[in-house]
Amino acid sequence: MSDKHFVSDAPFDPESIERMTADQEKFFLASRRKLIWWKLRRHKLAVCCGFILAFMYGSTLISEFIAPYNYQTRNTNNIYSPPQRIHFFHQGEFIGPFVYGNDYRLNMENLKREYTPNPDKPERIRFFCQGDSYKFWNLIDADFHFFCPAEDKTLFIFGTDRLGRDMFSRIVYGARISLLIGLGGVAVSLFLGLLFGGLAGYYGGWVDSVIQRVTEIIRSFPELPLWMALSAILPVTWSPLAVFFGITVILALLDWTGLARSVRSKLLALREEDYCTAARLMGAPPSRIIKKHLLPGFSSHIIASATLSIPGMILGETALSFLGLGLRPPITSWGVLLNEAQNINVVALYPWLILPVLPVMIIILAFNFFGDGLRDAADPYK
Amino acid sequence: MRIRHTQLLIFIFFLFGGISLTATAYVEPEIPQTESDAPQPFNDRLPDEPSVVVLDGDYIPGKYGGSMRLLMGKKKDIRLMTVYSYARLVAFNQELELKPDILLSFDIQEGRIFTLKLRKGHRWSDGEPFTTEAFRYYWEDVLNNEELYPFGIPSELLVDGKPPVVTIIDEQTIRYEWDEPNPFFLPALAEPRPLYLYAPGHYLKQFHANYTAVETLALQVEEAGTRNWAGLHHRRNHPYKNDNPSLPVLQPWFNTTKPPAERYVFKRNPYYHRVDQNGIQLPYIDEVTMQITSSSLVAAKAGAGEADLQGRYIRLDNYTFLKGGEERGNYSVRLWQNGAGSQYALYPNLNSNNPVWRELVRERQFRHALSIGINRHEINQVIYFGLAEATGNTVMPGCNLHTNTYQSNWSYFDIEQANEILDGLGLDKRDDRGIRLMKNGKPLEIILHTAGEGTEETDILELIGESWRQLGVMLFVKPSQREVFRERVFSGEAMMAMFNGIDNGMPTGEMSPGEFAPIDQTQLQWPKWGQYYQTNMQVGEAPDIAEAKQLLDLYHEWSKSDAVEDRESIWHQMLKIYSEEVFSIGLICGVPQPVVVNNRLRNVPQEALYSWTPTAFFGVYRPDTFWFE
Repeated sequence: MSDKHFVSDAPFDPESIERMTADQEKFFLASRRKLIWWKLRRHKLAVCCGFILAFMYGSTLISEFIAPYNYQTRNTNNIYSPPQRIHFFHQGEFIGPFVYGNDYRLNMENLKREYTPNPDKPERIRFFCQGDSYKFWNLIDADFHFFCPAEDKTLFIFGTDRLGRDMFSRIVYGARISLLIGLGGVAVSLFLGLLFGGLAGYYGGWVDSVIQRVTEIIRSFPELPLWMALSAILPVTWSPLAVFFGITVILALLDWTGLARSVRSKLLALREEDYCTAARLMGAPPSRIIKKHLLPGFSSHIIASATLSIPGMILGETALSFLGLGLRPPITSWGVLLNEAQNINVVALYPWLILPVLPVMIIILAFNFFGDGLRDAADPYK
Repeated sequence: MRIRHTQLLIFIFFLFGGISLTATAYVEPEIPQTESDAPQPFNDRLPDEPSVVVLDGDYIPGKYGGSMRLLMGKKKDIRLMTVYSYARLVAFNQELELKPDILLSFDIQEGRIFTLKLRKGHRWSDGEPFTTEAFRYYWEDVLNNEELYPFGIPSELLVDGKPPVVTIIDEQTIRYEWDEPNPFFLPALAEPRPLYLYAPGHYLKQFHANYTAVETLALQVEEAGTRNWAGLHHRRNHPYKNDNPSLPVLQPWFNTTKPPAERYVFKRNPYYHRVDQNGIQLPYIDEVTMQITSSSLVAAKAGAGEADLQGRYIRLDNYTFLKGGEERGNYSVRLWQNGAGSQYALYPNLNSNNPVWRELVRERQFRHALSIGINRHEINQVIYFGLAEATGNTVMPGCNLHTNTYQSNWSYFDIEQANEILDGLGLDKRDDRGIRLMKNGKPLEIILHTAGEGTEETDILELIGESWRQLGVMLFVKPSQREVFRERVFSGEAMMAMFNGIDNGMPTGEMSPGEFAPIDQTQLQWPKWGQYYQTNMQVGEAPDIAEAKQLLDLYHEWSKSDAVEDRESIWHQMLKIYSEEVFSIGLICGVPQPVVVNNRLRNVPQEALYSWTPTAFFGVYRPDTFWFE
């Protein structure tokens, strides 16, 4: 036992406890946006899903380029052709990606179209090649594709449907509609939700009561029958594009209520905060208070919940089209493709026609995980 | 099935003594007896002279037993049991000749006096005697009753607007006599949906004001919720619809299930009038069950072996699937020939409400252009495996009246010629999409209504729409339910419709050419003209195209003529006009119809004609002779 006190030789620094490490300092000084990003980045699954989403949405910008065929190109000689497997080695020799050409035979016994890959006919896939011509973004005539079948040969990596149309190309084109309808619908419902939620939350009183009751009435309708009724009204002569917008609006009209509610409750909480009272006392008009003081307080939250409602929209479109009430051919969405796959023949004989389910599942899961991560990250100070 | 002692004795005699069977030695199935409806004493259930069916060649006499399962897609389909059962006063046989069936015989004089003779001892399915009283009741108390038929005798029984004189000669003989020949009379009795001349008065009198006190009736009317006693009477007497289990019938099986239900059971009629050559009373099969399901599930269920005889709701594109399930489901799929003149046809509505469209579509050349703007070869290849043939909406190859010109008139594919025709019609202006503009400046957009139940119609229409696009014609498809669909066509709202083609693709000169003349509202190309004819010029519009009038005149001429050559020549004139005018646009004919038959089910033909009329689907092959091994 020593009776001597330990005294540090280091000079006394009274702020040593409060001083932050470089990391901490960075954290404290970082902007809100940066914080959200850091927090989101730690959520590996969300990041991964974010990439998937970015990839899929990116693909819709260049669908024509990615798809080897146009979505309406019929190959009457290749009806119900099963997916062709991509090989790399032909007789033990690497010759790059290729498929074996199909030998076609109509089995007169059971009227089945039989395709057998012929191992003597390797057909190399071409890349950055010329194929079906299209109008890129409806502006530029082009015929350039990422990959095409060998000259005068066929390439159906997801098989073909009953009119001999390439499923892969149709899914790629369908993504454009299915994904855009999600974004478009959410944009409209975000606008409506912000408007009505904002009014209700900020003004309170009878405005709030009226909007709340209307919201409740809308929410009390069962969704699907209402969608069906509304979409049945769309005139048959509308161009498919107009129908597309119509469906978007219908989906949005029924979806804004949830958003409006969360906006309202957030606003009700925030407007009682001291800084709001201060602003009001200083004579700031409502629009400034909402924009400068209230909106930033819950914008991240809104983005997260909007992200989470996109998959609902996509599923809504798919469900409507599946029931034959949504989009109509020639517009192709995943729902339209699935609508065409709903019969016993498909399940028993042509299972590849159910493939559009895959991208639907992937995109829904991706949105859900990504939205989850975003929601966790949205309030970085917690 | 147990054979009773007397029969057994006769049978033994027959075996050992070589005593030939006498006409009285019929074998009747034993019916489980209940106290309430005890059948008549044995051997008294058959008519004295039953109709004897000789089963030879591919057809073998069978044995009793079993339950035949059918699948249907709609509640209303129980009426098909009347079609399949096909017991008619006179009926077509497999050679499509008219033979007496329920009748013992019939006699025609001058084509206008029909003497019908019933079978003595024939009974209704409830055991009551079936005599000319049933005809009298229906004629006097039903058809001539002002409350039941406020508009008078139905037009099927009128010739030149005049009803027949009906004379009851005795219990078994009745005569219908018109002033003019009535060639429609006997074929109408043999229709899948027959013209009824009789009704079970003994049962129906309780709903008839002439026989039942007003107070009793009022109670029943209230209970049934109908407007008056006439409504009640009509509701109880729907022999075709099969919806009243209490209604006595003459069919081989009668319905025992009260609608609505998911499963209907049809039990053997113990008083049925037909026997096979061994004297065994038909039908062989004890009962028929009809399962109502969704029409899209019928193929799947049939493929799982849940049907013993199925043609309805099965299409050629199910063939591969059904063929794959043959062993598992213990059935075989046979390809019958579909007897429709054209599998589907397009019907431009000549009575459309849209004046610009109406004027255009009445232009013969416009219809020509639309017809040759269709690539039938492609439709055949893509949808029917190339097994069918391109055709106009006319009679089928194989029919006596068929010629290649009728089939190929305007049913080839020539986009260039079609475009020239359309340009020549003053439709040469186009909008920025390349769609032609009509006279009023509106784009030529055709909204086509269909009662589509599957993808077959929409696929065909997609192919048509694509080739019409090359003509500068835009096609929109509006599928709807069959009732709504018809209503829209009848009212003139629909511009064009797609529906089955000519029903009877295999007519003979003796059969009515009515499908080619404007006489029926359900003819979707001229519903209002048809209505006009049907309602005796009360409702609808008079035909105002010369060729349509000509068809109508020829139809009248046919009905007046009684020489076979004349009738055939009239048929040819009508077919020629129709195919040149293209009043409806035919597409494809000769599409095989898959029929699922249980492997244990005997006497179903391997190959046959499958159509509504004249074969009543399975009707003329007589399901009462089918049996289970």
